[in-house]
Amino acid sequence: MKCESCGQKLATVHLTEIIGDEQKEKHYCEDCAQNVTSHFPKAPSPSDILTSIINQVSPEIREMSKTTCPVCGLSYLEFRSQGRLGCPMDYNVFKKGLLPLIEKMHGSSQHVGKIPANAGVEIVKKNELIQLRKELNEAVGKEDYERAAQIRDKIYELSGNIDDGD
Amino acid sequence: MMEIKDLSENTGEWLRGSGKESDIVISSRIRLARNITGFPFISRANLKQKGDIESLLRETVIKSNIAKDLSYVNLNKANAVDKLFLVERHLISKEHAEGEGERGVAFGKSETISLMINEEDHLRIQVIRSGFELKNTWTTIDEIDNCLGGKLNFAFSSRFGYLTACPTNIGTGMRGSVMLHLPALGMTKHIEKVFNAVGKLGLVVRGLYGEGTKVSGDLYQISNQFTLGKSETEILAVIESVIPRITSYERMARKALILESKDLLEDRIWRSYGMLKAARMITSDEILQLLSQVRMGVNLGLINDIEMRTLNELFILTLPGHLQKLQGCELDSTQRNIIRASYIRKRLEGI
Repeated sequence: MKCESCGQKLATVHLTEIIGDEQKEKHYCEDCAQNVTSHFPKAPSPSDILTSIINQVSPEIREMSKTTCPVCGLSYLEFRSQGRLGCPMDYNVFKKGLLPLIEKMHGSSQHVGKIPANAGVEIVKKNELIQLRKELNEAVGKEDYERAAQIRDKIYELSGNIDDGD
Repeated sequence: MMEIKDLSENTGEWLRGSGKESDIVISSRIRLARNITGFPFISRANLKQKGDIESLLRETVIKSNIAKDLSYVNLNKANAVDKLFLVERHLISKEHAEGEGERGVAFGKSETISLMINEEDHLRIQVIRSGFELKNTWTTIDEIDNCLGGKLNFAFSSRFGYLTACPTNIGTGMRGSVMLHLPALGMTKHIEKVFNAVGKLGLVVRGLYGEGTKVSGDLYQISNQFTLGKSETEILAVIESVIPRITSYERMARKALILESKDLLEDRIWRSYGMLKAARMITSDEILQLLSQVRMGVNLGLINDIEMRTLNELFILTLPGHLQKLQGCELDSTQRNIIRASYIRKRLEGI
């Protein structure tokens, strides 16, 4: 059945109008139906649906969608579709989006462990502090206060002369 | 430099069938993922950059004298059979074989150490040993990493650790895995329980050739899932603590099988042994199953005229790439099945 307004598209909206005792059947295509009645809201387009899903599942994508790495040229959306980063700098450029992902992936977002053999003194110290803080928490958890005090002193000693912001 | 064909008559040291718990633990393996600063990761590197990374790493690795009699294979020039051969020996990964552009692998004569250049990351260091030997394996790989880390600038941040192409590998960049032979747990369907328990500890179970490969021949690889937030030794300690529990569970399951269905079990094992000695065509899936049964027969003391080392050799030497290398030409699968069966009969002749 063709739309009775434009006479071209297929009628997919069927309205029943009742005026007094009289009942009238009307058949429109989706576009014409919106001009005739306000009761028929336009169906969301596939891209609208996709955007709303993305916003629900990964809100960071919308925020990061315009970010591109100036070094390797990878965009955040490309990363999300391929799952691979383009260069080491991406970890900085996409940090805001990556942090929650990494947290979900590893249950942590702070490295503990080896550092490169030729890393600078600053990095070595910073890493040692991170390790000590972890040990301090464990000692306190085990109520080993003597050990905790020792670790705390070490932390004071180390942190006295470096900038420890991240 | 050694030729690939020199390798085809024997196997790497990790298959010698010795080491702790080697009746159940086939091998222990650790790999580290590293990238060099100043270059994009492989997926975004152009041909020239890939070439530069490859030559920088190749030269550094060769100069550093990392392993005895180091060989280097340029995978960009290697043919399909050679690449398959290296995958089967666990010297390179499938992805590395199928990659594009300048890339290669350096490995020592004993095949304990292998360094993959331009795989998913610029450098992947791997150390693999026979039996349950994670501690020694770690000592070796830690030394290699320190040596190379002193000469190269590895991409690193104090927050995310070693920076890798895929965020699933950041932090330590380390994957530790232990390959186990668990036929009794498989037969009694208790293996599911092992998977569940292991999963709760942040470990995963994979097939023979790592990620995304299917389980065959009752061989399973248990490895860490997370690489960030724990130190290398902490991660390895978790695996170390789990393995003895799985091996004793497997031993219990074997004892229970003997108690409850000795005749059935013995029949199955001897049939498999007979099949190996008599069959005229054997597929690559079937051989893994047969070897698995015979291996269990040897471990249970039922079969005592065949060495574990021989079983391990048969396991590697009858893989498609190895057979083609041994025969010196490309073979279709029917030809391979015939040659596989005849090769095994020859090896078991007189036993």
